[in-house]
Amino acid sequence: MQVTSFAFLVFLFAVAALNYCLPRKFRYILLLIASLGFYASLDVKGCIVLAISILTTYAAGLLMDGSAGTDGQAGEDKNGGFKSNNLVFALCIVLNVGMLVVFKYLGFFAGSVFAVMGKEAPTISILAPIGISFYTLKALSYLIDVKRGTIKAERNLAKYVLYVSFFTQIISGPIDRADNLISQFNYPVTVDIEMLKDGFLQILWGYFMKLVLADRMAIFVADIYGNPVPGTITFIGTLLYTLEIYCDFAGYSHIVIGAARILGIDVMNNFEAPYLSGSIAEFWRRWHISLSSWLKDYIYIPLGGNRKGVARKYLNILIVFAVSGLWHGANWTFVVWGLLHGLYQVVGYLMKPVRDFWVKLFAVDRESFAHKVVKTVITFLLVNLAWVFFRADTIGAAFDVIGKSLSFTPWVLTNGELFRHGLDQANMLLLLIGVVIVFIVDLMNVRGIILREKILRQPLWLRWLIMIVAILVVAVCGIWGPGYDASSFIYQQF
Amino acid sequence: MKKRIINLIKIALFAAVVLACIVVAATVVRRKESNDKYADFFTQAEKGNIDVLFMGSSHMINGVNPASLYKDYGITSYNMGGHGSVMQATYWELIEALDYCSPKWVVVDAYMLEKNYQYLDVMNENTPQEDIDTSIDQLHLNMDCWPLNRLKLAAISDLIQDKEIRKEFLFDFIVYHDRWNELTKEDYQVLSGQNASNKLLGGELRYEVELKPSTSPDPAEGEQLSEHTVGQEYLMKIIDECQRRGIGVLVTYLPFCPTTEDKIAANSAGVVAGMYDVPYINMLGLGIIDVYTDLNDTGHLNALGAKKVTDYLGNWLVATGDLEDHRGQAGYEYYDECAARYAEDMRNFSGSVNNLYSQLELLNFGDVGSVVYFNQGSGSFADASVKELVAQITGTDKIKILSDGPYIMINDAGSGNVYEASGEEALSGVATAMGTMVYQPVEQRFRFLYAQENEEVNYLYDDDHIWYDIQVITYDKNSGEVLSHKYYRSYGSKYRED
Repeated sequence: MQVTSFAFLVFLFAVAALNYCLPRKFRYILLLIASLGFYASLDVKGCIVLAISILTTYAAGLLMDGSAGTDGQAGEDKNGGFKSNNLVFALCIVLNVGMLVVFKYLGFFAGSVFAVMGKEAPTISILAPIGISFYTLKALSYLIDVKRGTIKAERNLAKYVLYVSFFTQIISGPIDRADNLISQFNYPVTVDIEMLKDGFLQILWGYFMKLVLADRMAIFVADIYGNPVPGTITFIGTLLYTLEIYCDFAGYSHIVIGAARILGIDVMNNFEAPYLSGSIAEFWRRWHISLSSWLKDYIYIPLGGNRKGVARKYLNILIVFAVSGLWHGANWTFVVWGLLHGLYQVVGYLMKPVRDFWVKLFAVDRESFAHKVVKTVITFLLVNLAWVFFRADTIGAAFDVIGKSLSFTPWVLTNGELFRHGLDQANMLLLLIGVVIVFIVDLMNVRGIILREKILRQPLWLRWLIMIVAILVVAVCGIWGPGYDASSFIYQQF
Repeated sequence: MKKRIINLIKIALFAAVVLACIVVAATVVRRKESNDKYADFFTQAEKGNIDVLFMGSSHMINGVNPASLYKDYGITSYNMGGHGSVMQATYWELIEALDYCSPKWVVVDAYMLEKNYQYLDVMNENTPQEDIDTSIDQLHLNMDCWPLNRLKLAAISDLIQDKEIRKEFLFDFIVYHDRWNELTKEDYQVLSGQNASNKLLGGELRYEVELKPSTSPDPAEGEQLSEHTVGQEYLMKIIDECQRRGIGVLVTYLPFCPTTEDKIAANSAGVVAGMYDVPYINMLGLGIIDVYTDLNDTGHLNALGAKKVTDYLGNWLVATGDLEDHRGQAGYEYYDECAARYAEDMRNFSGSVNNLYSQLELLNFGDVGSVVYFNQGSGSFADASVKELVAQITGTDKIKILSDGPYIMINDAGSGNVYEASGEEALSGVATAMGTMVYQPVEQRFRFLYAQENEEVNYLYDDDHIWYDIQVITYDKNSGEVLSHKYYRSYGSKYRED
């Protein structure tokens, strides 16, 4: 059952209806049953790995929390308590990260090692449990937070299981934190009609981004990346991939955040108009926010962050982005993609005096609209360049695409070539309109205007009209039906 | 509590409006071929007008023309054939149809009787996916028009194994929603109840001429299929069902270029028919058609072949079927209209078609008068198909024995007289609807054809078309008004108008 399937919608609305009717104190039980059923429908065997991850982190949390409690009361046991805490903590981290490495990276590491040794790597084929990259990070963040003492260990196993396996998040996030989710399981809010409407609108928006835009762009992108030719058409292909991956993942995030809201759960936001960022650092504050903040809180800051000198700060940035790249996939292309983003930031810091010099020399107003546009465009193009490595199968293929995209052949826009890559004129026009809508909505978001809230304040007939038109656009113009791979969310493979 | 109830009512109302909008959208984007083909079936079935149902595959669709059958024999029928329909698909098509009408006869063609698989989305082990996709696509043409009910559910469950593909037949919006970028005016007109109709009461005519019909060795006499196939099983079910309902059944095997296996299947069809004591006409060996003129391709009849087969079945049904001639009767106006429209279309098409073979094929119908002229040195004298098509109009072998022209044929369809001349031969005093015609060859690029009543007009000479070696003139068979004048140049067996 994938989130773009009709079955998911039926499942979601059935759970929402029950959730609406049930007394609040029992709701977490319903959500737990729904979550486990949802995951089992996707990956029965994966349930074992999920169970191990949940039970080990749950037990470790309790052990550490128990020791901390003793420490607080019996000072003489303090050192012994810390040591046992550290041991439990380390073992649990090793076990969970180890599982992630084995399932996801064993083949990659073995292949890389054998390649360095000049030998042919043995074939290692292990199917990673669905969502392991996401729920492992959730479990680890819980464990680290307990270790840090920022949260108390959850004693109710059911609630903890629900936290890790919450069905709106387990496939591809957002990677929410325990203090946000578990407190909502403990004190569920009353689901009112406004929440339902808001959640429903967000789901609709997500389906629009995913089915109407991302999957339509994917047709063009697959054709270009499958057979790149020198010229502007390849550059357009790279641009469309940049937009595709945003619409794909942000669309998914909107669907699941909206779904959670229908159930009365407020999930952390994952995207905030990332392509309107004026710098790479800002981009990462707006793109996949739940992962970026996780990496910052649990890797960058423990490494020392920016507290141990400039050189160490740059090194930490590169480490974090290398890890981020590797987290996305077991391939050097992802590592290069991550490092490129790290490098952008390091170079950005190093070049700051030069930039300041030029700004001063030409008396550039940093707050001017033109300056902001230039920064946004440059940031977008840098991000676009990095996405080529993310999309290509090999580093060589990525360089091939980049090289070919630099060939300037603007006549492809007018000689019909644009429409020979899987999308005819009507589809291209639809795509263009869709992208403009996304751009406008993002621009409104940046300025603090939430379109959903505006719509919800309109009279009933207009609200209904907007929603019905949106439903029809998604149903009629969405890419679904025969031949459609409902599991094709890009981030689901990570 | 009251607020909660109001909210629930609002949600239910919203869901209902959304559902209604989706239904409307699904109606607009639905592929219309199935509705178009069967639109007249539903209206005529409702009136109880249909006496004969023709069932089968594309062989039946292209082989029997209900409009022609009514025009010439007064028999009211509907062609329910489906492209690519194997026997089980034909069976379910019949069951669906019998839910709406009670014909006196069902004529079922047994082509593909040898197919021995149940599910169209599985077929045989080595069937290419492309063939399976085509088969599923063709089944939509048969099935989309039927409403979603238990019968359709049973049919789809019996024909399709994959549950996901079944859903596509039960809720075809799944398949057709992406037609949004190819919608035409007709797609929207369906909302106002304006359905395009097939015009030929389910039949379809093709107009090409197969120039290289294939032949295959005959099997041993009476040889039958080596196993009891799914196709045979469903032919039995069809006969069973008809007999249970008191409907007469005629099993046919319509003509085309059969393989040896087809001939064996045709033998087996006869055996099945014999088991149930129902009549069987194996047209493969009856010489009803001329494979050099009457096939659109090796597998399908063209319009001329369809005319011959329709006439054969018309005569058989008149002689055997105990069917009433409904021509001109009250309540059958639509059939009269279809027959008239068919005749008018054929008349118009005889003059407008842009292909010499197709034009000669259509001239065989005699809906218009015609003059066909081949100049001296024309490549058409080396073309057996062209000569055969002309010979079928004249009913003589005169053109067939010629190796060079000039040659002229005047078919005065109104009087039924045909005139020919070749070489130095001239024609004079030829009474036609155009007038009393005179034909006189003079030299290679000049000849006379004029009406004595108006000697100023020489129909066969035009400075602009001096290098064209073939001319075809059509005229109204009653008034003599010239309807078209086409010039062709021969390039081997290719004929071009430019």
